[in-house]
Amino acid sequence: MNEEHKKIHMHTKDVLVPIIKRVKTYLEDELGIDVFNTSDITCPDNIHIKKNTVMIGTTGSIKLIITLGFDDVLLNKLFEIFIGDDDIEDSDLEEVRNSVACEVTNTIIGNAIDNPIDNSDIYITPPVLIYEAKTLKKSKDSKFVFVTFITKYGEIELTAVGPKEQFENELDFKEI
Amino acid sequence: MLNVLIVDDSLAIRIKMKNFLKKLGHNVVGEAKDGQEAISLYQELSPDLITMDISMPVMNGVDSLKKIMKINFDANVIMITANGQDGIVKDALKSGAKGYILKPISEEKLQDSIGQIFSEYFCDQSDILDENDLDDQFC
Repeated sequence: MNEEHKKIHMHTKDVLVPIIKRVKTYLEDELGIDVFNTSDITCPDNIHIKKNTVMIGTTGSIKLIITLGFDDVLLNKLFEIFIGDDDIEDSDLEEVRNSVACEVTNTIIGNAIDNPIDNSDIYITPPVLIYEAKTLKKSKDSKFVFVTFITKYGEIELTAVGPKEQFENELDFKEI
Repeated sequence: MLNVLIVDDSLAIRIKMKNFLKKLGHNVVGEAKDGQEAISLYQELSPDLITMDISMPVMNGVDSLKKIMKINFDANVIMITANGQDGIVKDALKSGAKGYILKPISEEKLQDSIGQIFSEYFCDQSDILDENDLDDQFC
């Protein structure tokens, strides 16, 4: 394991702590959705990425992929709150629903991202929606960190996966 | 009333921004999904104001801003970002952005930001109206 990978293993949880707080404040304060329970932070060997999961990469001195996965009912609720009484064409409904998932993820991670290593800026990539559910099995020097939030509309799963360069688009492991 | 170009890769945000701007009495003349499209539409439409997302595919908002400022140094651009880290915002402001809004976006934040850039313009307009009103009274 090289030095950069060691840093990621040491600091991934530290990166997630402000994001965990922001998930709760965003849902509760901005959208009025109570978070009943937040799981402990775990580092599993496998993670299940549900459909309606949005991934964002971080660049700078800490390179990770951070994902937020939304249960269907919860995403429908987010869509309803986000759009309010705005008129949406029927043909745009699916794209708008997907872009709400991306926007919520972008706002939460963008607002909360912090650099626990050297305080230098961390940039985030545009959000990408993963359409198909999948299971990732830990391999090589990778690290998974996982937290679940429970609301009355369903769950949000927050995952950090690193190092970023071991993965391709849609979170498939690269063949190195 | 300002003619506004909205630049954001998110359809949900473009719809939201369009409705906020309409409520604030402005006219949305165009929408772009990335920084590259924004440059073309800026040249075509010459809007009074651009709202520009920073994190976008193809070309990000800061690179697009820099190219637009080369076309027109007086362009009015408000950057929209979820990531309020110093370097990112400073880079945008140094490159010519007139202001920035930290997401989540709201009608109030948008109104404040537009008001800060165009306060002089709006004051001038109200001065003209006041003079007209006085003329009307004397006529």
